[in-house]
Amino acid sequence: MTTTDKRHQEVVKKIKIIMRDISKDIITEKTMPVLDVPKVGYDNTLWSDVRRMLTIGKKTVQVSPDSTKKIPTFAQYIVMASAIRRLLDEQMESTIRGMYYATLSTVGDEKNKQKFWNSQENSDDAIKAVELLTGIPREEFSVTSKPKGMVSGPITLRVGGDLIDCNLRSRATSQLIPTNIRDVEIVNVKADFVMVVEKDTVLNNIRKSGFIKKYNAILLTGSGEPDRATRMMVKTLNEKWKKPVVIFADADPWGLGIALRYKIGSESLSYDSDRLVTPDAKVLGMLFSDIYEYNIPEVARLDASDEDINRANDMKKKPWLQDKQWQKELNLFLQRKEKCELDAFFKHGFKYLAEIYLPRKLREAGMI
Amino acid sequence: MNPKASVEVASAQIKVSTATKTVPHNSNRIVNYNRKAESEFFVDNSALAGFTGERILYMAVRELIENSLDSCESNHSLPIISLSLKLLDPLNDMWIISCEDNGIGVPSDKVPVAVCSFLTSGKYVEKQQRGLFGVGLKMIAAFSTKDTDHPLKVWTKAQEEGSEYYFELRTDIGTNKPITLVRKALKTDEQIIESETGFKVEAVLRARLSPITKNRIYDYISQTSIVNPYAILIFESDEGKVVFDRRTKVMPQPAKEVLPHPADMDLKTLKKAISNFKNQKTTLVGVLCNSFQKLSGEKAKEIIARSGVRIMGADKYDEHELIKVVNICKQTKFQIPNTDHLSPIGEEILTAGMTSEYAIVINRQTHTIEQSLPQLSVKILKPSLTAYSSKICVINNRPTIVECGIAYGGDINSFKLFRFANKIPLLYDEGSDVAREVVSEVEINKMGISKKEVKEQFSNPDTKTARAVELLPIHIFFHICSTKIPYKTAGKESIASEGDLKRYMKACLADLYRKVSAQIRKELRMKEAEGRLHLYKYYIPLIVNAICESIKVDPNRLSEAFTDIAERHVRGEITSNPVIEKEDKITGERIDKEIHETSEVEDKILTNSVIQDDHHERTKSRRKPESKSHMPKKKNNTLGKDQTTLDVVNARKKR
Repeated sequence: MTTTDKRHQEVVKKIKIIMRDISKDIITEKTMPVLDVPKVGYDNTLWSDVRRMLTIGKKTVQVSPDSTKKIPTFAQYIVMASAIRRLLDEQMESTIRGMYYATLSTVGDEKNKQKFWNSQENSDDAIKAVELLTGIPREEFSVTSKPKGMVSGPITLRVGGDLIDCNLRSRATSQLIPTNIRDVEIVNVKADFVMVVEKDTVLNNIRKSGFIKKYNAILLTGSGEPDRATRMMVKTLNEKWKKPVVIFADADPWGLGIALRYKIGSESLSYDSDRLVTPDAKVLGMLFSDIYEYNIPEVARLDASDEDINRANDMKKKPWLQDKQWQKELNLFLQRKEKCELDAFFKHGFKYLAEIYLPRKLREAGMI
Repeated sequence: MNPKASVEVASAQIKVSTATKTVPHNSNRIVNYNRKAESEFFVDNSALAGFTGERILYMAVRELIENSLDSCESNHSLPIISLSLKLLDPLNDMWIISCEDNGIGVPSDKVPVAVCSFLTSGKYVEKQQRGLFGVGLKMIAAFSTKDTDHPLKVWTKAQEEGSEYYFELRTDIGTNKPITLVRKALKTDEQIIESETGFKVEAVLRARLSPITKNRIYDYISQTSIVNPYAILIFESDEGKVVFDRRTKVMPQPAKEVLPHPADMDLKTLKKAISNFKNQKTTLVGVLCNSFQKLSGEKAKEIIARSGVRIMGADKYDEHELIKVVNICKQTKFQIPNTDHLSPIGEEILTAGMTSEYAIVINRQTHTIEQSLPQLSVKILKPSLTAYSSKICVINNRPTIVECGIAYGGDINSFKLFRFANKIPLLYDEGSDVAREVVSEVEINKMGISKKEVKEQFSNPDTKTARAVELLPIHIFFHICSTKIPYKTAGKESIASEGDLKRYMKACLADLYRKVSAQIRKELRMKEAEGRLHLYKYYIPLIVNAICESIKVDPNRLSEAFTDIAERHVRGEITSNPVIEKEDKITGERIDKEIHETSEVEDKILTNSVIQDDHHERTKSRRKPESKSHMPKKKNNTLGKDQTTLDVVNARKKR
């Protein structure tokens, strides 16, 4: 049984080419095969002024069964590639966790037994390696993650054959953003702008207040660290549907980091920025200065941890945070050493965030 | 009455009176100044000699073995020592301990005081011996007297007497005098000492023996045998009997008695020296150069001149004049003291000990209930390499010899530090010993290996240590010999980092690391290669399987070819460098390019590919030319992959 999906066929073919090249190296050339995989991480991530996003550098990692350390890695990549081929042959879908389970095994003999994977992290890395070698993101070979992004507002999706109107009148819940993006299509967007918030709790509060209808907005959240599908939906809404995007996250270095995932990308996915990053998105809040501007009472502020301080010091040096406003914000944080969650506005009343803070911020930015 | 105790009572009284001023001052208390017999003092303060509750049996074993070894060595005869420790009365914690040796024995007229009277010893001389204080055996006798109604039994066959005597003794603790219950010359058929001379003690002691202390006793005996491989040690307990064989007939040069070094002179030694020449009308010059080493007549004259005392008969000086001489001696530089009075273990003997390290192991047999008692046996560890190094230094004006040995690999599978002082194993307080500091401060890169390498090769989840050296299968031995070991505590279990001692010990260990570096590197490489072969053995089937389920390739061919490359790789025929420079790395670009080429041939290669072994027609020469030259022919195509890999492992071992 083979897949009829063209994209899937391409993946399978590429995997077979990898296998063939390895076999040739071993049988014909009698040399150790070497997989040359682009290096992913902070030391191979570059800031592109032109594209206004993080991009991957030229460094690569050589994975070859020529050293004690790399033998298992090499085997992991090959076993994972074969499992992906099987998945597509069977026309199935899997989460990354599913792939981990599908390839679990032990290696060695009774005396010296080792786990094939130390943790799911290893298997995620192997999936990444297949993405990097084939140049095809995993969503396109049916390996997804558990959905956790949410969308609410005047937007209609087609998932598989079903139409989903995310503008739920009851305001009771939001639509999960499906991670099998190849099956998802945005059919219609009637909103004026897109508002991304860091957490689902905050999104629920805003939705419940009637914000969507009042300002004709789409609310979106990645529930913390956004998954790829959420980032892609934000990008599509901004670039294909020409909707302005604003982002609100907690007033701490971590929250700012999450806001920046949407706007500039991340080190661990720098190879995929083109597909995921929305450079035109605007990070409007919550600013460190908002803590004082909006009189967040002291009980609702949190002390910055050492990790926060280090992160902020780090951020201050980043090329994408060099404009005066951000430098001022970071300096303020480093000076006051206080942070604050968006939820803190609830101290001022449950509707304060949706009815006072956000509209004021949006007005200042000329969004409404 | 204990004078110290009465002083305390008196001072406590004063404290009470100052605290409560209403109580009138009690002036009736009188401090009694009593003399205490040595025996009573030591029994009351048994911790001074290490005899504390838990350790009584351990100390008894120690003292008996050390006495026996000293006795044998003073006569330069190869020791045969037989020790037995058995439970006599479990209800009352009574143990019977006995020790027999083939040493010089003790003359019968000296036996009672030698066994029972504290601070009576033939060892009060300036030379290295295990025992120094004349306390150990007396302690056993006193404890036996104190806690039991059994007499101490002694058999002795002294060199000068030739016949065997039997004693039953107890100690009069109040007066430090022996009580001789039985003394008789034994007839031939009653004699029990088999060798020509010898000594045997048997005592009953009341003590508890915890499993920990029991293991310490076993450790003590095992380690004693490492530094005394010329001795036959026989140990018998309720758990069985073990024999540590003699591994060499070489004995260390016996220590000689020497004169004290002038830098070590004080008023007491000088006065003693003068009194030795009493009535001989010797001048101070004569006394000095005859009583101290490294002190010529010239030098003695110079010292006396510098001290400004008059020249006269040596016994005419008063203390005020003598102290001037002492002071000048302290200021004068002398040649470093000679080391004739020291008896290091020596390279040959320590190596003999290290190359077959004996250890007592306890086997628990669980076949039947009756047999579930633990059984003692001897395990012999043979390392794959050993090395030795030593240094002579002066610590606290005493010549000191530092010896260090290393045993690596083979049967040894973990790190262990062995500490010895004057050939006595030190088992307690390892953490505070200078040797521990030395081991952690000498970097293992002196062995030519990096911490990282060691961690990669040896770390496993069970080991918690952060220190790389403790991951190695290595035994490190330190022996310090001196007439005055700088012990940290009275218990004589750890050595302090006095003077330059640590520096010399570090130099010694660093020397050894350098000595073994080539071999250890080789061992490491072999281990690495072995580990790599195992990895290949485990992972090649997985890789081959993943490939063969994806494309059409003969699994056997692929696996054979892969194993072949892997082995050549491990043997070093393909170095890892060319791999980095390999021109046809599998990259995303190459895959993209090939997928287009492939689509033209319409998957032929992918679905029906028969990958050829023989590829002369291949135009692209991707391999570096030099690696072609050492491409060996496959030895045997019919070998299974497991067999081949194992063969290589075995072949390496044989080499």
